[in-house]
Amino acid sequence: MEWNPETLQNLSQCFLHTLSPSPEPRRAAEKSLAEAAERPNYGLAVLRLVAEPTVDDQIRQAAAVNFKNHLRSRWAPSPDTGSTAILDPEKEQIKALIVTLMLTSTPRIQSQLSEALAVIGKHDFPKSWPTLLPELVANLKQASESNDYVSVNGILGTANSIFKKFRYQYKTNELLLDLKYCLDNFAAPLLEIFLKTAAIIDSTASSGGSAATLKLLLESQRLCCRIFYSLNYQELPEFFEDHMSEWMSEFKKYLTTNYPTLESSNDGLGQVDELRAAVCENISLYMKINEEEFQGYLNDFALAVWTLLGNVSQSSSRDTLAVTAIKFLTAVSTSVHHTLFSGEGVIPQICQSIVIPNVRLRDEDEELFEMNYVEFIRRDMEGSDVDTRRRIACELLKGIATHYKQKVMEIVSVQVQNLLSSFAANPVVNWKDKDCAIYLVVSLATKKAGGTSVTTDLVDVQGFFTSVIVPELQSQDVNAFPMLKAGALKFFTMFRSQIPKLHAFQLFPDLVRFLGAESNVVHSYAASCIEKLLLVKDEDGRARYNSADITPYLPLLMTNLFNALKFPESEENQYIMKCIMRTLGVADISSEVAGPCITGLTTILNEICKNPKNPIFNHYLFESVAVLVRRACQRDPSLISAFEASILPSLQMILQNDVIEFLPYAFQLLAQLVELNRPPVAPNYMEIFKLLLLPESWKRSSNVPALVRLLQAFLQKVPHEITQEGRLSQVLGIFNMLVASPSTDEQGFYVLNTVIECLEYNAISSYIVHIWNALFTRLQKNRTIKFIKSFLIFMSLFLIKHGSVNLVNTMNAVQSGVFLVIVEQFWIPNLKLITGSIEVKLTAVASTRLICESPVFLDGGTLSLWGKMLDSIVTLLSRPEEERVEEEPEMPDIAENVGYTAAFVSLYNAGKKEEDPLKDIRDPKEFLVASLARISTTSPGRYPQIISASLEAANQTTLLQLCNNYNSPIV
Amino acid sequence: MADEGLTPHRRDPIKSSVGNVAAQRRRQNAVTVGKERRESLVRAKRLCRVGTSGDSEVSVDNDMMVDEEQSILETQTAAAVEELKGKGAMHKRVDALRELRRILSRFEFPPVETALKAGAISTLVQCLSFGSPDEQLLEAAWCLTNIAAGKQEETKALLPALPLLIAHLGEKSSLPVAEQCAWALGNVAGEEEELRDVLLAQGALPPLARMMLPNKGSTVRTAAWALSNLIKGPDPKAASELIRVNGVLDAILCHLKKANEELATEVAWVVVYLSALSNVATSLLVKSDVLPQLVERLATTNSLQLLIPVLRSLGNLVAGDSNTICDILVPGHKVIEVLVKCLKSEHRVLKKEAAWVLSNIAAGSVEHKQLICSSEALALLLHLLSTSQSDIRKEVAYVLGNLCVSPTEGDGKPRLIQEHLISLVSRGCLPGFIDLVRSADIEAARLGLQFMELVLRGMPNGEGPKLVEQEDGIDAMERFQFHENEDLRNMANGLVDKYFGEDYGLDD
Repeated sequence: MEWNPETLQNLSQCFLHTLSPSPEPRRAAEKSLAEAAERPNYGLAVLRLVAEPTVDDQIRQAAAVNFKNHLRSRWAPSPDTGSTAILDPEKEQIKALIVTLMLTSTPRIQSQLSEALAVIGKHDFPKSWPTLLPELVANLKQASESNDYVSVNGILGTANSIFKKFRYQYKTNELLLDLKYCLDNFAAPLLEIFLKTAAIIDSTASSGGSAATLKLLLESQRLCCRIFYSLNYQELPEFFEDHMSEWMSEFKKYLTTNYPTLESSNDGLGQVDELRAAVCENISLYMKINEEEFQGYLNDFALAVWTLLGNVSQSSSRDTLAVTAIKFLTAVSTSVHHTLFSGEGVIPQICQSIVIPNVRLRDEDEELFEMNYVEFIRRDMEGSDVDTRRRIACELLKGIATHYKQKVMEIVSVQVQNLLSSFAANPVVNWKDKDCAIYLVVSLATKKAGGTSVTTDLVDVQGFFTSVIVPELQSQDVNAFPMLKAGALKFFTMFRSQIPKLHAFQLFPDLVRFLGAESNVVHSYAASCIEKLLLVKDEDGRARYNSADITPYLPLLMTNLFNALKFPESEENQYIMKCIMRTLGVADISSEVAGPCITGLTTILNEICKNPKNPIFNHYLFESVAVLVRRACQRDPSLISAFEASILPSLQMILQNDVIEFLPYAFQLLAQLVELNRPPVAPNYMEIFKLLLLPESWKRSSNVPALVRLLQAFLQKVPHEITQEGRLSQVLGIFNMLVASPSTDEQGFYVLNTVIECLEYNAISSYIVHIWNALFTRLQKNRTIKFIKSFLIFMSLFLIKHGSVNLVNTMNAVQSGVFLVIVEQFWIPNLKLITGSIEVKLTAVASTRLICESPVFLDGGTLSLWGKMLDSIVTLLSRPEEERVEEEPEMPDIAENVGYTAAFVSLYNAGKKEEDPLKDIRDPKEFLVASLARISTTSPGRYPQIISASLEAANQTTLLQLCNNYNSPIV
Repeated sequence: MADEGLTPHRRDPIKSSVGNVAAQRRRQNAVTVGKERRESLVRAKRLCRVGTSGDSEVSVDNDMMVDEEQSILETQTAAAVEELKGKGAMHKRVDALRELRRILSRFEFPPVETALKAGAISTLVQCLSFGSPDEQLLEAAWCLTNIAAGKQEETKALLPALPLLIAHLGEKSSLPVAEQCAWALGNVAGEEEELRDVLLAQGALPPLARMMLPNKGSTVRTAAWALSNLIKGPDPKAASELIRVNGVLDAILCHLKKANEELATEVAWVVVYLSALSNVATSLLVKSDVLPQLVERLATTNSLQLLIPVLRSLGNLVAGDSNTICDILVPGHKVIEVLVKCLKSEHRVLKKEAAWVLSNIAAGSVEHKQLICSSEALALLLHLLSTSQSDIRKEVAYVLGNLCVSPTEGDGKPRLIQEHLISLVSRGCLPGFIDLVRSADIEAARLGLQFMELVLRGMPNGEGPKLVEQEDGIDAMERFQFHENEDLRNMANGLVDKYFGEDYGLDD
């Protein structure tokens, strides 16, 4: 793409249209930009447009975003995306321009370009971009000399993003060489600017400088701190060790100094706190990995952080600072310097002035509870609260307990009692104390297996449950004190396996009742509690709660669950839908229940088809339908037609409207319905079958597994329909297409295997040459281990189904003598790689039959092959999988339908059971030795000789042992 | 170069499955950004305050080291250089040199910058010209030594003097002159790789190597020190060149056997770099009788300065050559004993290095593992795992982890040694490993996860998950749910799913 006024004009137009509210010009612009992006120098042209001062600012901003995304997908595209990479000369020009451009642009564009630069840095820095760091250092120096802190911060921000690569990586020589390069070039300038800025801050603060100036300066220090963190992440660099006191004394200053000019506003306080939080991260890092070098500073910092927390804990905002500061104390408590906490009264003091105030509910928590229940639950129940004050305060207690467990336990149980007494004294006013007590008990518990479940020795669980939790659950008003109700439900859920069945089950009606609570959190927790209870297993591995337990409540439970989905914001509540799924999986489903349920579920399905939003909810919805159909039809097969009447229209709508997200689900449900049908299959299905045979249906890779599944269902259910009207050749056409590519060949074999299994030889005989041709072509052009294994399994299945003579003759019909070549080159060497019990049995039995029945092997002339095959069979059958199978390197999966995002998700409840094609053979080992013994009697002495000549010594021993075990001697 | 090159310091990568505690660990410190621990003990660059020759004339400077005013000092320095530039008689020139040298060696911060600004280098280079009297050469080299002990750019100022300094190392020079030149060059070599390359290109290595051969007191020591600076890489070329110089290997052995602790310390540092960088050197050292000497030194000395390089050499040799472990573990050798001594030391570097050596021994054969298990080391290691600082804990975790897996064969994945695992777990090591999982050091976290996987998979009767659960291990793993390091995230999530996963489907 050439840079000229015309290009400028065109690109500007396009970017302007991408901002258009009406879809048509927007889509057209997006399309032409996507096309232009394929051309060389597109990125450069967009960057130039960003730099063009005459162009409207919003266009330049849109271009900057586009530029960043362009680099993301094309600077170093991974091979499987199919994107073409930007060419080297263009890259060089971009690298030469971007730093200056970024520093001179407006803040919004700057942030985009800074991200773009980080993208380049991630791949090219430092080795392929040696000029970057010197350029940044020189610019930093210049900006610092002219006190231009906007530029200083721009440069530091960029440095910060490129140095982040040193975090979270394993230490390798390569990484350390890069780090060393950065340290050699940047450690000194960093300290220099840090100290200089520190001095300016001191003088600005004391002379009453403006808040705006201070803010810029503090931001600069914060960036220095973040860079400090990256550069120190791997280990303590020499330069930083030599200058530790300079860094530390400034760090301490920021923790202990107040900046009234700034701190009088929330915004300003936020800025100071961000710097303090960055400092806390740095000292935590030193505390964790440089204990010895940091020791001299520890006492001062511990005191500073302690004092700071005293103030911060009382304040209801300042979350980030509170969290990072508490983390520092936690790091100290678990380190070799933990004795800091051993002093008399220290731990009670921490508990009183840091832990409890931070665990107590704050206005923000109440607001979140009401306004954003999804986020609240995620934090409260699902472990994404790693950075909330409540959780981190409890982490501190856990940290201290590493070395002072007894003390912590004593103090906390006293605290819990105090909180509960305070609640008891005035429940209406002091309800938050009870919440705090419940939270402490749950958070300090030890996590158990099986998802959200815990145990504790802090309190007597059953006693606590009876006296504290049950009264809440039995409270008649489901809408009163919802946060306490949520806490109680959460406790019940978490400690569910420790509450005896009898006790827990008395509360079941209450749980059902709480499904009707208005609070989204409360009805979600009630659903979640029921769902988790149904999963509890007893010591003997059996489910504690079974269908008989819930049958009495089932109608009300289902009604309440469906009603709960009508509460505002809960229309797509995944906790409720999961509970529906679980209940349907456990309960005894009578037709009285099944009817309303299927109506309810299809109504919801029809609704969400219009705009699929929450994939988790959708998944549970489809699972619910699948489990309902499966279990209800098991009980009463006549229900199928009623289900069809409800479900088929919805599924047809999904197919007609091409609701991409749901197609894989729809095909799986259809497969399930087909399998439950009794032939002849209704005409509706045959319409769908025709659709299935269209090549277009298979273009989306996410559909393929589900389509294969559906095709299998048809092949098994209505084999005769398939063989008519040339449909089989269409099916085989699909096989042909799938098997041609390594990414779908497995699916292709599923189709082919099903054809072989379900159809008579006559029906397929005329196609067999074509099948072999397709397979041989793949074998020649692009064979992978995975392919060869599937090929082997297919040949085995063919042999089992249609006999070795047919196998040998049809293959040799393609090319004379090819069968033995394939046996020698592929079958024998790869047999030992087969995995999976059904597959191992199948291939072992087929191989055995080949050498014991096939004339090709018995007629002589193939003695050495006979021996080698037997050797492979013995290896396959006698050695554990991990000894015979080498790990295959992951093959890059080249998706053929780029740009498609929906993924295939398997429906557990619509799954297909693996069928063993050899049900009459129990033990392949026995089959092997019995077959060998049998043929050996026809020419005694012949086989022992071959065996001793061609089998590995270990395999000879094994074989002998097998013969003895099954009492089948080879003579 | 065929057998050269840095051995990657990274431990063997984990294969796709969790549970491959790095079975073989490699020589370390090939690349480091941290402070070289050596420097806190023995500086890479040294100021020469007292003459090398022991000759009373130069070595005694009894004037008080008064803290003179900076400005006066600078004036004196400039004057001294000017005086030196003047074309005086021979004795006047030596006097001027002596004055400058006196100024440059008496103060904590010698006025090097002033001397350089006054043009000292070119004059000093002239003073080094061939045929000059020894006294003049000695004084000039001394001045240069102290200039080179300064800041980076001051060291670099010596570039024009290097060819002559190297020339005076030869056999024809008097020993004091040669030694002083070696000292100056040692300072230059200690500065940076670029300067080392220049020195190597100008042929500094062979004459320095030869100075190590005869046993002549401080000459050998200074040469050894200079060489240890010169060969420290990271390019392994110089180390390989040194070991090939005739007689060097014997000289090293001889000094390690007989020399006093100071000399032995310098020689041990030479061995550290030889063994860290060069495969050739490593195999020659192993074939020679150096291992018993190292072990003997470890057993008999209490000098920290000596213990550190000796222990590190031992570790490098053990890691560099798998047969070494067999050699040193023959009966009668007290390797484990001396390592236990180091583990008990108060000094962090010694503990860490000792654990590192043990981790390499623990990566060896089953017999070697048993040797550690049955020694006093095990109790110490278990104690260190729960009480020591993070870096030592990590090294200790490698030892304990390696004790529980058998050596890899060919492609193989390591197999579990259940007996050792049970023994370690019953002695309470699991909480220590779970603490590692919570560590900020991701390599340590990975080790913790790997060990946890061994416990989950390997403890009999499905006891593993219960033990991990009791020690709050699930919580430790769940911290990685959204971790930035993909490998750790997958490992942790995989373990949680596999051993603690919630049942998804409920089959009837």
